[in-house]
Amino acid sequence: MSDPIDATGIGKTFHPAATVADLLRGRLRQAPVPALSDVSLRVAPGEVVCLMGPNGAGKSTLLRILAGILVPTTGRARVLGVDVSDADAAFRRRVAFVVGEERSFHWPLSGRQNLAFFGALHGYAPGPSRALAAALLDRVGLAEAADRPFSTYSRGMRQRLALARGLLGAPDLVLLDEPTLGLDPHGARELRRFLREEVIRRAGRTAVIGTNDPAEARALGDRVIFLDRGRVRAEAPPDRIEQELGL
Amino acid sequence: MTPQRSGLAEAPSPPAWLWFCRVLMAFARREIATMSGYRVALVVRLLSFGISVLALAFFSRMVGAAVNPYLASFGGDYLAFVVIGLVLMDFQQIGVTSLGQRIRNAQLMGLFEAELATPVPTWIVLSVGPVYEFALAVGRAALYFTLAALLFGVRFPHASLLTVAVSAPLVVAAFVGIGLVSAATQMLVRRNNPVAVFLASASFLLSGVAYPVSVLPPALRALARLLPMTHALELVRGGLLRGAPLSTLGRPVLALGLFAGLLIPAGAALFAVALRRARVDGSLTHY
Repeated sequence: MSDPIDATGIGKTFHPAATVADLLRGRLRQAPVPALSDVSLRVAPGEVVCLMGPNGAGKSTLLRILAGILVPTTGRARVLGVDVSDADAAFRRRVAFVVGEERSFHWPLSGRQNLAFFGALHGYAPGPSRALAAALLDRVGLAEAADRPFSTYSRGMRQRLALARGLLGAPDLVLLDEPTLGLDPHGARELRRFLREEVIRRAGRTAVIGTNDPAEARALGDRVIFLDRGRVRAEAPPDRIEQELGL
Repeated sequence: MTPQRSGLAEAPSPPAWLWFCRVLMAFARREIATMSGYRVALVVRLLSFGISVLALAFFSRMVGAAVNPYLASFGGDYLAFVVIGLVLMDFQQIGVTSLGQRIRNAQLMGLFEAELATPVPTWIVLSVGPVYEFALAVGRAALYFTLAALLFGVRFPHASLLTVAVSAPLVVAAFVGIGLVSAATQMLVRRNNPVAVFLASASFLLSGVAYPVSVLPPALRALARLLPMTHALELVRGGLLRGAPLSTLGRPVLALGLFAGLLIPAGAALFAVALRRARVDGSLTHY
């Protein structure tokens, strides 16, 4: 069985949009901004890898490349046997990219209505979409709040809804970007327990989690990859990463 | 069909047309649910719509009271003349701006990343917004014509339905062609595109939206021929007000056919390049 993730020499450089002054000088782009440089990683089936590093280290960019949303500038990444540059519908059914970004939901709509909308994007007919939304809301503990507007949800509830959205497909691989960001310690602990037991372990899924929190890495990860300024600086089991980094 | 790992349902893989319909319906349900959450805004919009129709009617009563040689070839009813102009302006605005607007709004609101992380093809995500907007514009047009007919007795006794039926898709295709080019340019330079604003102003001034092109001086009349709206109005008014058969409307049909035939393939190709570039840049998911 091949590794679910096999990436070699991944680099990513962004070209921010030009300002009006740039356009007047005939430049369509600002100076390039390197985000990742020569990053290689392999993730074994069922393994949970945490990407750690300071803000701007490249964690989110790497996750987006693995999700097939961004195309790497250099290098090659194969995820579940597919080159991420060729990510298609079948690929996106098997890879869940859990975006906790609150703006990605419609605030006036309820959790149920939000999930039903994303169910349609997954190709479900209205009936099955509603049934699946109800089952997932129940599973993430939001059944009672299902018909409340998203705007009234707490931070933890919003993260749980994002998880439910990620499970609408049939994911073998789950990519999570800072799933407990902004939660209080109790809420974060609860969500980590749910992630570990319900989302990852129960279904035997492979997962890559971007996080800044060492407690999260220890609770969820089999291995930590520490990124700094777009490069891999250290790689070790969670309880040895600080030692590897010389901290 | 692949069974879902969670055992909650089966992950479907519908044919593209069915997938499009499902997303369009979900999009419409979402928009209606969102709109119903802002009832006061909805009432205000309906009121302002009614007020604009009333204002037009009173204006047309004043214009219509005088014998107007410029309107003679359009049947002499100014309200019928101007309602067609405003309805087509609405269609042009949607054709030219809705795709670019959808992209910009989704980028600013952060919706695209979550949507593009699902299996849905990108073209479906991008096209449901404009299709929904066109459907709303058809509804607005129907409301305009109904109010004009019921309250102010506007009639189209000579209307050629065949001419209107053939001209409608041609007009929409020409506008969508400009919209594709405009949205692609906006994605490439990542700036709001001024084309739509310029086109709207130029069309209102030159194309004969509120007054016939014949009142313009010759130089401006020649400029007006460069705008698709001029030909769209000539075609639709010809069909609705004069009942002209298609065979007598060769010039606007040919002009709109050229606009659509050139701009849709060029716009689609440019849009495909912009989409590929946006995926490399990551600019589809943020601004």
